[in-house]
Amino acid sequence: MRSGINVLVLGAALALGGPQSAGLSSFYEGKNVSYIVATNAGGGYDAYARLIGPYMEKHLRADHVIIRNVPGAGHLVGANTLARSKPDGLTIGTFNAGLIYGQLAGNRSLRFDLRDLSWIGKAAGEVRAVIVSARCHVTTLDDLLAASEPVNFASAGIGSASYVDTLLLAEALNLNIRIIPGYAGSAAEMAMLRGEICGLVASASSVENFVGAGNASYVLTVGGRIEGVPSAFDYATDERARQIVRLVSMMAELGRVSAAPAGTPAARLADLREAYRSSLEDPALRADAARARRPIDPAFGEEVRDLVVAALDQSPETIEIIKRAVASDAGRASLSGRNGHEVELASATF
Amino acid sequence: MDMSGIFAALLAVIGSPYHLLLLLIAVPTGMFFGAVPGLGGKLGIVLAIPFVFGMDPLAGAIFLVAMHAVVHTGGSIPSIVFGVPGTGPDAATIVDGLPMTRNGEAGRAIGAALGASAVGGVIGGLFLLAILPLLRPVVLAFGPSEFLLLALFGILFIALLSGDSLIKGLIIGLFGLMMACVNLDPQTGSQRYTFDQLFLWDGIDIITAVLGIFAIPEMIALGVAGGSIAGRRAQGSNYGLSGVIRGLGDVFRHWGLTLRTSLIGAFIGMVPGLGGDAASWICYGHAVQSSKTPERFGKGAVEGVIAPETANNSKEGGSLLPTLFFGVPGSSGMAILLGAFVMLGITPGPELALEGMDVVLTLIWALMIANVLAVALFFALAPAFGYLSYVRGSLLIPFVFTLTYLGSYLSQRAWENLVLLTALGGLGYLMKKYDWPRPPFVIGLILGPIMEDSFHKAWALWGPAFLLRPGALSMLALIAVSLGVYIRQTRRSSTEFPHAA
Repeated sequence: MRSGINVLVLGAALALGGPQSAGLSSFYEGKNVSYIVATNAGGGYDAYARLIGPYMEKHLRADHVIIRNVPGAGHLVGANTLARSKPDGLTIGTFNAGLIYGQLAGNRSLRFDLRDLSWIGKAAGEVRAVIVSARCHVTTLDDLLAASEPVNFASAGIGSASYVDTLLLAEALNLNIRIIPGYAGSAAEMAMLRGEICGLVASASSVENFVGAGNASYVLTVGGRIEGVPSAFDYATDERARQIVRLVSMMAELGRVSAAPAGTPAARLADLREAYRSSLEDPALRADAARARRPIDPAFGEEVRDLVVAALDQSPETIEIIKRAVASDAGRASLSGRNGHEVELASATF
Repeated sequence: MDMSGIFAALLAVIGSPYHLLLLLIAVPTGMFFGAVPGLGGKLGIVLAIPFVFGMDPLAGAIFLVAMHAVVHTGGSIPSIVFGVPGTGPDAATIVDGLPMTRNGEAGRAIGAALGASAVGGVIGGLFLLAILPLLRPVVLAFGPSEFLLLALFGILFIALLSGDSLIKGLIIGLFGLMMACVNLDPQTGSQRYTFDQLFLWDGIDIITAVLGIFAIPEMIALGVAGGSIAGRRAQGSNYGLSGVIRGLGDVFRHWGLTLRTSLIGAFIGMVPGLGGDAASWICYGHAVQSSKTPERFGKGAVEGVIAPETANNSKEGGSLLPTLFFGVPGSSGMAILLGAFVMLGITPGPELALEGMDVVLTLIWALMIANVLAVALFFALAPAFGYLSYVRGSLLIPFVFTLTYLGSYLSQRAWENLVLLTALGGLGYLMKKYDWPRPPFVIGLILGPIMEDSFHKAWALWGPAFLLRPGALSMLALIAVSLGVYIRQTRRSSTEFPHAA
């Protein structure tokens, strides 16, 4: 359940040869770098770190890049641990960019400002998709937009990134949905197979197999394209809606980010960014990623930082929506959509 | 699915020296990850992925499945010998495994655990083969309302595991349920009893709770009493290989129980969402409930070792099915296995049933063979583990304490858990000393969140009508029958032995 955590050295496992990056200082030679992953072993963030770690080791010419899983509280524990670490360039980490929602809502448990982190880059985005189950009476986007009865959507716990994504999209596109929280990971897919849940807002890669098997279909995407599926931007009719969709889209674009603690010396950060770039452009890494079916669509350094800063710059109105989603009494709130549709929260019933 | 396909798949495993060699490497590796507290099967798979990356997909999958299949076989050994569970689902084994060690029956307990694990694994596999055509409707019949009632069913076992005093058991069970409320409220996201401590947001770590409540009190008690875990009176009474063989025999002597708990375990594994901890405790409860002499439990009844150990191995087989056929993992270990399958080029999902049936059958055979192999390999070593129970306390206690604290730290990597472990250890010692039952606490802690979460979902989806769904009605009937049987048994025993009540 919650077991299985570790410090481990991948170096010995993969024999990596080939040329090393030029223009890097010799600082990392003979040193160990910790790569904090804010989840348990297994899962997407862990997979990316374990994919990239050995290549960072090679390109930094470090002794070892050690993966440290620091799970808990929806990535908060890992992110706080990273932010608290000594900014000596020997600790880096990866976590869900969804923490931006937490910072926007003023969550006190996020004990640092995401803008201050020394951003290294991102390995890939995570295109969000709205999918509906094949067993559901709502099968197309038009059905969903025109639904007169609330449609059941699953999400992870209240306040989680998936919950906020769902709520934001529902607000922006005026969807008549009822969010049933508490479906973690594959539980939502099971619920769709059983027929109790109709739809889901999820990262497209995580539901790819499920949709591919004919259990559900894509109706909308945010933050990237899927062949033949319309984008949420096409249905955002006014400025307020576009703003909200843009935020979700930025979160999707950020995807699998990596950063070092605030105050990492500029020279170290430059080395880290350089090695990160060389790793992600390494044909061997690309081949490994393709085999693991992990898409690579990188961005580096300032570009990622700019995205984070932009995502944190939201209108008071959008921040209000996020606050309602994250706030502890969200369960009792019932949000009114624009055309009188109610975004019902499941727990509002008692 | 025809018979020739089933046996062709068997041949693919045992006919290939390469595959057999992989099994021989995978089995001890998996047992090692189970036996060291805090490591566990998930980590085992993550660490093995780089090694299987370049292998032929079938060989790689065989290796991973075999390794994961025997994790709980290894996990039973420290539960029995030291009272330190190697993995969460092995915790229920402590309740009778450790008392057996104290009675000088460590060899027998280990023999029973090895045998039960193997039989559980094999029956689990056979069950899978038999249920393949019915898989989809059976798995999909279980939704939130059925989970809620299944968890309630498990919680009723608190009454049975209370030992002499029902009141004490209920108090402890409710205390466990209360502790299960320490987390972020799953419905509102607000903090409950977390005192703003991040490490409590996901709830009290089960491994830490189990180590605190079971392992630490045993070591304190050992230190206070002096001597070794197996007391002097037990010295030499059941030593060595004969004990192990006797334990193996016990598994078959209680064949009805073995069969039932294997099937219950495989079934719980097959339905994603309940988890291995629930499986072993529910089966332990069932063993007590179905026993003619329930008063022996907790004092070293071999059935108390057999039930959870069959369950935690057979549920591994069960959880393989939804992972392979729906692409929906039946447990968190399987979630990682799913990723590994994809990496190896095996795409789980319904199409596997059409095109990859030979792969599925081969993996089921690998799972069964690994379970048998685990016994064969460790049979000879079992007495050596048993001897550990005769090591003097002053030598053993520092070692076990280190293992306990390490296990607690590794499971969440939060130092705060060490403080919690110490506090729960103190509480557990008091409970032990003043004879309060400890299993109800763990049951409350494990089943509480399942119950709460399922209730919220069921209520949100269907309102009070969730109780009228067909699955829910049959679960309600099961609960009513169990309660009726329990009440009749207590009445009868109190009329037969008026002073015992």
